[in-house]
Amino acid sequence: MIKNYFKIGWRNMMKNKFFSFINIFGLSVGLACCMLIALYLNYETSFDSQHKNAPNVYQVITAFVQNGSKRMKMPNTPAPMAGALKQEYPEVVETARLLKLFIDDKTIIQYNPANGERKSLLEQNGFLADQSFFKIFTYNFTEGNVANALTNPRTIVVSKKLAEKLFGNQPALSKVIHVNSNTNGEQDYTITGVFDDGKVPSHISANFFLSVAGGSMEGFIKRQGNDYASNNMFYTYLLLKPGTSPATLQAKLPTFIDKYAGKDLKNMGFQKEQSLLALRDIHLSSEVESNVTAPASKTYLYVLFSIAAFTLIIACINFMNLSTARSSKRSSEVGVRKVLGAEKSTLIRQFLGESVLMTLIAFVFAIVITLILLPLFNQLADKNITLSADKDTVLFFEFLLMALITGVLAGSYPAFYLSSFNPVKVLKGKLTNSLAVVAVRKGLVVFQFIISVVLIVASVVIARQMNFMRTADLGFAKDQQIVLPLRTANAKAAYAAMKADLQQNSQVASIGASAYYPGVFNPSDNLLYREGQTTAEGRRTRLNYVDNNFLQTLDIKPVAGRLFSPAFGADTNVNIIINEKAAKEYGFGSAQNAINKKIQNNYQGNTTAYTIVGVVKDFHYEDLHLPVTPYGFLLNTGGYNYMVIHAKQGNMASMLKTIEASWKKYDPNDPFDYTFMDDDFQKNYQADTRLAGIVSYFTVVAILISCLGLFGLAAFSAEQRTKEIGVRKVLGASVKTIVSLLSVDFLKLIIASVIIASPIAWWLMNKWLQAFAYRKDIDWTIFAYTATIAIFIGLITIGSQALKAALANPVKSLRSE
Amino acid sequence: MLSLQHISKYYQVGGNKNFVINDISLDIDEGEFISIMGPSGSGKSTLLNIIGMLDEPTDGFHYFVDQPVHQLKEKQRAALYKQYIGFVFQAYHLIDELTVYENIETPLIYQDVKGSERKAMVADMLDRFQIVGKKDLFPAQLSGGQQQLVGIARALIAKPKLLLADEPTGNLNSKQGEEIMELFRKLNKEDGVTIIQVTHSEKNAEYGTRIINLLDGRVESSRKL
Ligand SMILES: Nc1ncnc2c1ncn2[C@@H]1O[C@H](COP(=O)(O)OP(=O)(O)O)[C@@H](O)[C@H]1O
Ligand SMILES: [Mg+2]
Repeated sequence: MIKNYFKIGWRNMMKNKFFSFINIFGLSVGLACCMLIALYLNYETSFDSQHKNAPNVYQVITAFVQNGSKRMKMPNTPAPMAGALKQEYPEVVETARLLKLFIDDKTIIQYNPANGERKSLLEQNGFLADQSFFKIFTYNFTEGNVANALTNPRTIVVSKKLAEKLFGNQPALSKVIHVNSNTNGEQDYTITGVFDDGKVPSHISANFFLSVAGGSMEGFIKRQGNDYASNNMFYTYLLLKPGTSPATLQAKLPTFIDKYAGKDLKNMGFQKEQSLLALRDIHLSSEVESNVTAPASKTYLYVLFSIAAFTLIIACINFMNLSTARSSKRSSEVGVRKVLGAEKSTLIRQFLGESVLMTLIAFVFAIVITLILLPLFNQLADKNITLSADKDTVLFFEFLLMALITGVLAGSYPAFYLSSFNPVKVLKGKLTNSLAVVAVRKGLVVFQFIISVVLIVASVVIARQMNFMRTADLGFAKDQQIVLPLRTANAKAAYAAMKADLQQNSQVASIGASAYYPGVFNPSDNLLYREGQTTAEGRRTRLNYVDNNFLQTLDIKPVAGRLFSPAFGADTNVNIIINEKAAKEYGFGSAQNAINKKIQNNYQGNTTAYTIVGVVKDFHYEDLHLPVTPYGFLLNTGGYNYMVIHAKQGNMASMLKTIEASWKKYDPNDPFDYTFMDDDFQKNYQADTRLAGIVSYFTVVAILISCLGLFGLAAFSAEQRTKEIGVRKVLGASVKTIVSLLSVDFLKLIIASVIIASPIAWWLMNKWLQAFAYRKDIDWTIFAYTATIAIFIGLITIGSQALKAALANPVKSLRSE
Repeated sequence: MLSLQHISKYYQVGGNKNFVINDISLDIDEGEFISIMGPSGSGKSTLLNIIGMLDEPTDGFHYFVDQPVHQLKEKQRAALYKQYIGFVFQAYHLIDELTVYENIETPLIYQDVKGSERKAMVADMLDRFQIVGKKDLFPAQLSGGQQQLVGIARALIAKPKLLLADEPTGNLNSKQGEEIMELFRKLNKEDGVTIIQVTHSEKNAEYGTRIINLLDGRVESSRKL
């Protein structure tokens, strides 16, 4: 029976190549979209599944509460938290702290073999970890022993990739390398382990782990002592006894905080709420700010999944519409089969067999398309997703199941419709489609175009927002700014000489230095308040430490007072320059009012006061997702992390050569590395850029499939009305009137789609835009653009068919009837 | 074999009942060969379809092999139909996508006949109608007469007791028509198949054992030959 169904299905397909092509093409592309997104979802939900203890591992999350209002949740705690939690609660079997080398984007790692060339690398994703770290997390060591890998001071565990970079295929174990970072200082480390991080992604995408003992952080932690309130910078992980309820433990944490941090917190004017986040949930918890690696937004995953599902639905609708539209061609077959003894259920199965056959063919194409597009998709999504027949057999079967379900879904409506024909009626003559089925078809076309129109609006809104962010005035000069990271003591020491040297160059406009710069993480902050107020009224203020020329180099404009300048020799680190927002938040009324006033901070009982010497115009030190908040500049005499060179317009290549030459001259041992400030700033929009790319590709796909369906329907409608058109032409109708006659019905549908889709798209995209503190709001022009695009595309699709029909020779078409 | 008692079929047109079959009572014995005649629109096809259970009357009693068809459920009626009745059409109504062989085989598939048995039965039928050489051709590749031959072979494949034919020669020339009629007579005489045919041709009607004339949904006359 099945064989019989497939045979007839195949012959029908071959007989109607045009319709089969539309259906198979649409279904292949739709299925491929779903497969790609399924692979993506599969990847994003597989994070940290490799850790054997995963069900019992939790990250400690801190929510800071000030004056009753809660700030974003952070995964950070002070250093002593981990130890105290283990001591206090028997159900906490093990704890480990992890610290990202957070000040540096890259760490210098050098290997100086006794005989051979010195290797100097700039490596990302370096961490400090407790020795217990590997008791909680599962890492596959290819060299060394997991049990005591980070026990001794100045030991390091490196990734296989890094080991290969340093030593080729020589063993890495016990080799000594030099590690130099702004976060942890400069020391020699002995390699005690090499791990292979495998295929399963982890939220800790580590390149190397340093022992806590032996670096400058060790001293910092000691100085922290029993302060459980400030310096929330460690990621703390708990391994709980199997069977422990995290909720029960979490309920005990307020008491814990009260006991250990209560007094300090009171002094500092804020509260902390601790919660536990399950390891497997970390990667999908985008509500937690600044985790080890950027989390995947669940919303984005839902959005992607919906878009993929919608493309498949659009293809299914094509199948339904073309099948029912062509039903008159199948009706006599249905009648005959019924006369020959077929029951309705048998016929339903036959028609489902045909749709399933079609989706199975589409499935094969979809697999091929997926394999071809996967590398491109990886590039677009910035992922490393793989698909191989031997490893992903289960996935292949899931895809096959998906195709079968699609076949049944797409085929069911036509199957029920076709199989319900009354044999007496259909055998009598040509069957005209019932009004109900025509209405359903129109409804489905409108639905398809609603999806397409929403996607067009989404693409346009996203593109406009991206363009807005790229071109927005950030309040500082972001172009032509060359940033040189000063990663070592040598580099920092060479700054003054390099500055003096490069200032001679006529292409250099200005040179400054700082701890941080706009667009990169600004970890330093303090609660500052106006003199006469208390800590409770303090405002979280980001702080940056700069030299005399930094503000001028970035062209940050004063609105009151002055900038730091060598002309004011008396400037020391008791003077501060704040932004307008800070002046307002501290309650100075106006920028002018703030000048020469004092603001202060209380840390562990000691009060520090700063005099405001200048107020600068608000500028975006963070990307446009985030609002500008209070910011302050303090003058430092050295120890800068970055040197910023503002170049004049001109030959950038020769400028960089000059800078490199100067670097080599004054700091020959450290590798030369630079970035452009505007690039660094744009990096914050990677996720948005990715979304923009994916949405626009899917939009094109959805429109393409929708239009193919419309094209098929228009072709069919023109074919059905050949005789009518012939008569009209004989009666003297012009080509124009016939084209509009054939197009107007479809155009009405597209216009209806635009009208229905616009409010939906507005609502959705407005919601998306809320994630940006600074945005280009949606206005009516977007809908005007979209309507124009949709109608234009529709007109081309339908018009071509209408024109073809209108130009056909009427005598021919009349004779053939 | 079958008995219709006070069978009526009407369509509601506005407030009026538009009778297509108007109170027809008719008994047909096994082994009869009936020719139904009458002007276009007189209800011939409708009557044939009611007898063949493709259509339902609005009123009346319908007995087939002693079963009250008007009381049967859809499923039981289908079973009865499958077992006893074969249909032949004026327009042949072969399935375009199927070969001659497959067209003839189709009723057997719907009666769940096993594959090997099907093969033998179809081969037998092809042989009997002398169309073995055409078995892999599609309907479009056959002449009208050949198509109707296939249509009849298909109607007979499941060995029905009753063959219903609605103007089987209507689309054929007179020579082809005669061949079909000879075939019908042979089936009726030698195989004992009861046949009811609708025809416009007096000459073809004469092949039957009884001619029934319809007019406006009533039996106008009936004569045995
Ligand atoms: N669905 C219907 N609604 C109304 N009238 C119908 C319908 N189907 C058939 N008829 C009418 O029934 C009458 C008999 O049709 P039919 O049995 O096909 O006649 P014949 O086969 O004798 O030419 C015709 O007048 C036709 O118009
Ligand atoms: Mg008729």
